[in-house]
Amino acid sequence: MSDFPITLIFPPQAHFTQPYMGLACLKAWLQEHGFDDVEQVDASVQSYDHFLSADYLRWAVRRAEARGDLEQLATKDELPFADMDTFRTAAEVAVSGHVLAERVEGAKAVLRGQDFFDPAKYVPAARTLFHSLRIVSAAWAPTKLTPHNFTMAYSIDRSNEVLAATRDEDQNPYLDYFRTELLPAIVKRNPRVLGMSIIYGSQLIPALTLGRLVKEALPDCHITAGGGFLAYIGEKILKAPALSESLDSIVFHEGEKPLEELCRAVREGTDFKHIASLGYFTKNDQGETVGIKNIGGHPISLNEAPMPDFDGTPFDSYFSPEVVLAYDVNRGCYYGECSFCTLPTVIGPGYRTRAAETIAGHVKAMREKYGFSNFNFITDCLPPGMIRELPEELISQGSDIKWWCDARVEPRAYTKQGAERLYESGCRKLLFGFETAVPRLLKLMKKGQTPKRTLEVANNCNDAGISVTFYAMVGFPSETREEARETLAMLQENAAGTIGPNGKSGPLREVSLQTFHVDEVAEVFRDPTTYGVELLPDPAADLQLYHDFNANAGMSQLEASEMFDEIMAGLRQSLPLFHEDTFFYFTQKSHYFLHLASGHSPDEFIEHCKRRGVARQDELARTASGDALLDLEVVPLTGTCAIPFSYAEVTRRLAHPLARAARPDFLTGTYIPDLELRAAEGIGPVPSNPQKKLVLAYSPGSTEFVELSKDGEAVLDALRDSGSYGKLLQALGQPGGPERERLDHFVLGLHRAGLLFVPEHQLTAL
Amino acid sequence: MNADSTNPENKSKDETKKPEDAPKKLDLQNLDLSVEKVEERISPSETNVFDK
Ligand code: SF4
Repeated sequence: MSDFPITLIFPPQAHFTQPYMGLACLKAWLQEHGFDDVEQVDASVQSYDHFLSADYLRWAVRRAEARGDLEQLATKDELPFADMDTFRTAAEVAVSGHVLAERVEGAKAVLRGQDFFDPAKYVPAARTLFHSLRIVSAAWAPTKLTPHNFTMAYSIDRSNEVLAATRDEDQNPYLDYFRTELLPAIVKRNPRVLGMSIIYGSQLIPALTLGRLVKEALPDCHITAGGGFLAYIGEKILKAPALSESLDSIVFHEGEKPLEELCRAVREGTDFKHIASLGYFTKNDQGETVGIKNIGGHPISLNEAPMPDFDGTPFDSYFSPEVVLAYDVNRGCYYGECSFCTLPTVIGPGYRTRAAETIAGHVKAMREKYGFSNFNFITDCLPPGMIRELPEELISQGSDIKWWCDARVEPRAYTKQGAERLYESGCRKLLFGFETAVPRLLKLMKKGQTPKRTLEVANNCNDAGISVTFYAMVGFPSETREEARETLAMLQENAAGTIGPNGKSGPLREVSLQTFHVDEVAEVFRDPTTYGVELLPDPAADLQLYHDFNANAGMSQLEASEMFDEIMAGLRQSLPLFHEDTFFYFTQKSHYFLHLASGHSPDEFIEHCKRRGVARQDELARTASGDALLDLEVVPLTGTCAIPFSYAEVTRRLAHPLARAARPDFLTGTYIPDLELRAAEGIGPVPSNPQKKLVLAYSPGSTEFVELSKDGEAVLDALRDSGSYGKLLQALGQPGGPERERLDHFVLGLHRAGLLFVPEHQLTAL
Repeated sequence: MNADSTNPENKSKDETKKPEDAPKKLDLQNLDLSVEKVEERISPSETNVFDK
């Protein structure tokens, strides 16, 4: 056994579809520099795997139901805004909890196996996982865990709240998870240094929770953390000494060198004063805990950095049929001018790159070592020279991979021939920063590009078979609604499947829309007057990263979030990939790419998805025409439950922009003060409806929630008991006239809603 | 509500009925037969695309 075990952990919560790269880079570096016992743990995917299991869901249902929320709310005459989420959650637990426990393992198997490639299997499986996470969340309410986020009732921009969250036995699911699943293994291994990589705000509370538990269990283990999110707020953490309960030190920016030196200092018992890019807690002369931040260090020579080492990564745990390996081709941004963007600063100063030859050699070696041929190149964007050289190297070295990455609009490099060569080298998807259609805003953003050129690049890529995604932004200071609508119009005109004036289909497949936020590294923060904004300080928010602001012109922040919804609704109509449930492929990182990598062109993929819809329409047409109507049966395991308020109405109200704003913001993980009250006033209570006697149903086949009346439930029960609609009619003595018409109409409605199916089709069954 | 009251297999807890009785209870003229499929509420803003 090694005398200096190191454990690197990727804490929850992050996406569960592909491994994270940062730990693999650090592991490789440490091993090359004299630390041969480095373990890496993806605690995020492992915790998802644990939560999304039959046993855990059954336990979660019991825990949620023991609170008796539904019974308590049933005594009320009306449901105020403050109770709406509790009601919705309790209703979902009651009607779908047990069914989901039955289905969840099957759903994971679909995503991890070849059934992934069948949309008729994939979509219900993805929905089953989304719905199952609502059951997990219900157990820890009001905490919410989704595939893309983790929030608690605590704001992550206040150290006292973060600390309280790490101790909340009732609402923090990770306390229990870490204690029972992760901590025993850590204690057994007894690492001398434990490092965590925190790249999202959603990881902050879980990471600090784990840090505290490990410090309690292993007082001699040095706990450090780094990663993109801490590059922003690390200094503030050092000013909050109470957080030294969870952390001993923080690595800023690029982690390789400071982590190596930190490990050496811990091993040799020397102090940390000279470790560049490190911050740490120590005691001052008065015995008080204080944070110290050392000066920043020089970046490493990236081209000499070793190939990421993914050994020990739990490849089978990811919710994808094939692993997509991440590989960092460069760090920082060679352009680095955009006034809203702080991405390049996260990894430290300057731009550096690996040589094309090195990249091609590494990916080939990784493909051979791990047996995976799909890659996500981690880069802010590829410079023009690399866009030309990389494909040549990948092709000449026989890398034989498929890959995707972010990109900047470089018209001279993404030419027709350039794009074709990229495709030949395995490039299947590129994401460009389009941002806005408005030249005035592009100039303010210092994007150095025009919409015309961006579309030219997009068309070249699309013609070559590369799927094009645009990043777009809403709410940049001074942007008006009209300007935002101009952007939407341009995106829609250029959507794939929309025929333009040249008679060609548009190049655009996906849009990643973001609302503008001011962080403290951004130029807008340093120079608010130029951008016409007045920043709204919040002194209590000692870990604040994003700042609220008033704009002198254009939309307010709330108006921008409303505009976000409007643009998204428009895109969901225009982009085929955003239609209905096909949207899941977009939201699950790399899932659409895996279809492209498997050999589908973007158009073929859409056709493939449409076939599911067409088959469903055929089935609906057959029952509507009376053909298969009598064969209809209730989908097995369909559950129902009486509800005191309308679930449909509550869901509508909770979709109101005010209600959404009252929840913690997705990007910032913070609560906006007073919005809860404003939402309560603006949205109003939902009255109870005792006459109507509402019932909620959930079908595990279609994975839909459906609201019925008590009468409707009686018919559904009778249908189930009889076996099929034909047999029910027999049992009822073959009613005719308007009665039969009403029944037919209802049964067809149940079929459309996914509660009934034609057995021979098996279409709606998972 | 006990822990199993929503299990569809146990649903008959408060309304035990024999299958053959069920259809006769339906008063076909006066049934309220509305169906509402509730819009999926997966938020389009919840996608992590940024991660470096
Ligand atoms: S938006 Fe892209 S091109 Fe602009 S500075 Fe950021 S990473 Fe570089």
